[in-house]
Amino acid sequence: MTSSGAEVRLRDVSHRYGSVSVLDGLDLDVRSGGYLALMGPSGAGKSTALALIGGLDRAQHGQVVVGGQDLGRLSGDALAAYRRHTIGFVFQHFGLLDTLTALENVELAMALEGVRREERRRRAGALLEAVRLTGRGDHRPSELSGGERQRVAIARALANQPRLILADEPTGNLDTGAAGLVLDLLESLRAEHGCSLLVVTHNPLIARRADESCELVDGRLRAP
Amino acid sequence: MLALRGAVRRPVRTALTTLGVALGSGLLVALGVITSAADTKVLDRLGQGNPLTAVRVAPAQPRQGQLASDALQTAAPHDLTDATLTAIRRSPDVARVVPIQTSRVSELSDEGGVATDWLIGTDMRQVHDLPVTLLAGRWPAPGSMTEVAATTDYLFKLHIDGDHPRQAIGHVVTLTSPRLPAGDAGFSQDRSYRVVIVGVVGQDLTDGDFIVPLEQERLSHVWEAGGAGGRQFPVGGSPYVGAMVVATSLNAVHTVRAELYGMGYATSAPEHLVSSVEEYLGVVNVVLGSIGSVALGVALLSIANALLAAIHERRRDIGVLKAIGGRDRDVLRWFLVEALAIGLAGGAAGAVAGVVIAELVGVAVNQYLVAHALGSLDLVGVPVVIPLLGWVGTGVLAVAAGALPSLRAAHLPAREAVVEA
Repeated sequence: MTSSGAEVRLRDVSHRYGSVSVLDGLDLDVRSGGYLALMGPSGAGKSTALALIGGLDRAQHGQVVVGGQDLGRLSGDALAAYRRHTIGFVFQHFGLLDTLTALENVELAMALEGVRREERRRRAGALLEAVRLTGRGDHRPSELSGGERQRVAIARALANQPRLILADEPTGNLDTGAAGLVLDLLESLRAEHGCSLLVVTHNPLIARRADESCELVDGRLRAP
Repeated sequence: MLALRGAVRRPVRTALTTLGVALGSGLLVALGVITSAADTKVLDRLGQGNPLTAVRVAPAQPRQGQLASDALQTAAPHDLTDATLTAIRRSPDVARVVPIQTSRVSELSDEGGVATDWLIGTDMRQVHDLPVTLLAGRWPAPGSMTEVAATTDYLFKLHIDGDHPRQAIGHVVTLTSPRLPAGDAGFSQDRSYRVVIVGVVGQDLTDGDFIVPLEQERLSHVWEAGGAGGRQFPVGGSPYVGAMVVATSLNAVHTVRAELYGMGYATSAPEHLVSSVEEYLGVVNVVLGSIGSVALGVALLSIANALLAAIHERRRDIGVLKAIGGRDRDVLRWFLVEALAIGLAGGAAGAVAGVVIAELVGVAVNQYLVAHALGSLDLVGVPVVIPLLGWVGTGVLAVAAGALPSLRAAHLPAREAVVEA
């Protein structure tokens, strides 16, 4: 269960929401298999950069290349396939569907990929075991703690063996103990799966754990 | 799975939406069933020899304007003979001719009194073509000389409540046919025999106390006719007091009446009543159809509204689904299946409710027909295809109603996954 991490390259990327400029000529690189912490204050454009790299949105200007794919050239379905195959998302709000159980949430990512039911169930069970949630598969998100929910989200992010994990404030809603466990899991699974990891955070303690870190201010990288 | 779980996420909203769909589709299914029953069960069945296709012929000349009225419009007497019946049978629009004969009998009561009764004789093999409804028991066996069916008029003589006709079954009656021998005025010759009541009927043939096999009545008639006749014991004129002529179809009723009019006989037939029933069904159809269409329209709008509310609530879920690789069509399918589930659930409930409504209307129509002695029309046994079409159709309409909201959901940007709640 290994995959080579995707290389990320952003060149002169600009993006606006209405009249508000969020990214302004951003250049950013994450090496294949690398672990980068993207820091910055609120409104600096961290989540927008993450959305552009994850194919949730298209850059209005500039180039976003991930794993050799220029995202600006991908059609809607191709971009969805890119998100399915290449990216694993971990959100601050966990992003679990509350009508599904933990196991079903993990399975959902594989169902979209067209994996057979028996295979999905087997792999989802193994992933929940990897994030130390054995026996919690039948629980709904509302029956899990914050840390447990985030671990389910990590399991889901890894469901289709992504080459890049994008984590948006993954410990933002967790207490210190749970946050540490989630980060340990993310890092160990990254090492095990060989994928790249990009963590958006405003927490310097988290940034220190990454191989590299950079700070985004007013839509640009602050000079070191 | 996602769609079904989503539908039960807001159970009250889903239940109310489903109920609305059930109401609309139920009324439309009822309409369909009633229309179908009216067309196939009433009209088609009537067209193949139901009492409503029967024309009653009286032994009398018709008055002018007879054909414009359902009721008998009689003028001077006109004998109804076997030759006449044979001529009527030759018409291509006539399916069957059932003669009716009556004769007067005396009944000896247990207290020693004498009452006058009338026997109505007819062909028991064709009794189902007559405007006669069996209320209790069974019909006398064809050719039987000892079995009779009492009419509701006779129940009064027995002091039996009309709501409990079964009490008359098994009652034994002694009947006497009198006559005056020629040249021996003053002394009657009586022929007495015992009969048992095996059934009770509601009938609109003619005045009478018993419906009996033609052979039984004919014996009494021949006995009477063998006498000299007199003021007390008159001998009847026409061989038959009437006949029921069954037309080949409902559309042929008027033609048959016109032919009989041309032969010089007064007739009656419920052709205008049939029109009334059709109009009644038509009004029910229009009312139910209008209410059902409006209700279904409102219900479908409520599906669209419920989906829009659900989409608003689940913007982030939609974004997350896209973030983990869902395509627009996956989201579209999610909400369309949810609309379909509500439509099918409401449609199923509506189909059941529609059948029940239709049965109730059918019972009302049936009672109306029975009250007019037009026979019993069994509207039970709804064609399966109508509720099935209603169910499937409601599902399709629900999907149509959910199409726009679902498309809107499908086009929500994946960015919704990272938008602050």
